[in-house]
Amino acid sequence: MGRRLVRVAAIVAGGALCGLVWNAWSGRGFALGQSVFVQAGDEVIEAAEAKERLDRGALFLDARPRDFWAMGHIPGSAPLPEDEFDGAFAELEPRLRGTFNIVVYCSGYGCEASHIVARKLREKGIHAAILNEGWPAWTDAGYPVSTPKPEALAGS
Amino acid sequence: MTLLRARWLHLLLRLALGGYFLYASFDKIAAPPGFARIVYQWQVVGPLASNLVAVALPWVEAFAGLLLIAGIWKREAAAVMGAMLVVFVLAAGSVIARGIDVENCGCVSTAAAPTGERPFWEGVGWFLIARNLVLLGAAGVLIAVEPRPRRPAAAAVDDPSPGASGVSGVLPR
Repeated sequence: MGRRLVRVAAIVAGGALCGLVWNAWSGRGFALGQSVFVQAGDEVIEAAEAKERLDRGALFLDARPRDFWAMGHIPGSAPLPEDEFDGAFAELEPRLRGTFNIVVYCSGYGCEASHIVARKLREKGIHAAILNEGWPAWTDAGYPVSTPKPEALAGS
Repeated sequence: MTLLRARWLHLLLRLALGGYFLYASFDKIAAPPGFARIVYQWQVVGPLASNLVAVALPWVEAFAGLLLIAGIWKREAAAVMGAMLVVFVLAAGSVIARGIDVENCGCVSTAAAPTGERPFWEGVGWFLIARNLVLLGAAGVLIAVEPRPRRPAAAAVDDPSPGASGVSGVLPR
């Protein structure tokens, strides 16, 4: 039994080691110390920093699908869903051009939308910081959220 | 039980299971960041642990697959696969229970999800769980059942009893 466990451990450890070596030296790997969504030029901030920026009047952009924004969002945030970026951007552009303090968020670490929206904004010459781990990081920290009144939801 | 001990069945299961795991590792090994994006979508272990999973898992799959096909450390390779399959099934259950939409499960390909309909076998859903349970059954047979020895006379040597010392007395051939 002991020998079998050693073999099982050897398969797992050998595979993991090869993976780490491959990731480091094959040229196909990525940085393990940060989210894989982060690219050069991205400014990623934690929830506490985002809260400070909100208190200083930052404009928050919600990159999640519009329905999520309707169910609850960071106070004062505007919906800028990644999947309808062009239309929503056209509406928001005057506000965005007049703001130098913008934070984008989406639905968590598994969500790339905030990174994509920030990058699309950058292409248009607008800098936006990305809230690390998005909405759950914000709510887990106990920061305020805007939720619609129940009767408003019941109609939808 | 006689069927479960049949040598041809064990060979078939080894080639099928080993071949599947080996095949499933190719795309993920070729594109570590692509696979990491998919692991993130599952939202099971957090971003940094997901990075390690994305880097290590495909190689463990490849190793276990190769060993099973080659017939080396068969039971141990099948046990590693069985453990992975149990984790996959639990993770898929968790994804479904939380209502997370994973368009490509990352099982065999890391292709980024295009807009539009995905084939049902690529997403995380009941089909994925059913398929993994079938694979788990195959792994279970390879773990729990010793194949019939090639010749009846070899039966005494084939039994890995605690008294058998070293490797030489245990290997069936």
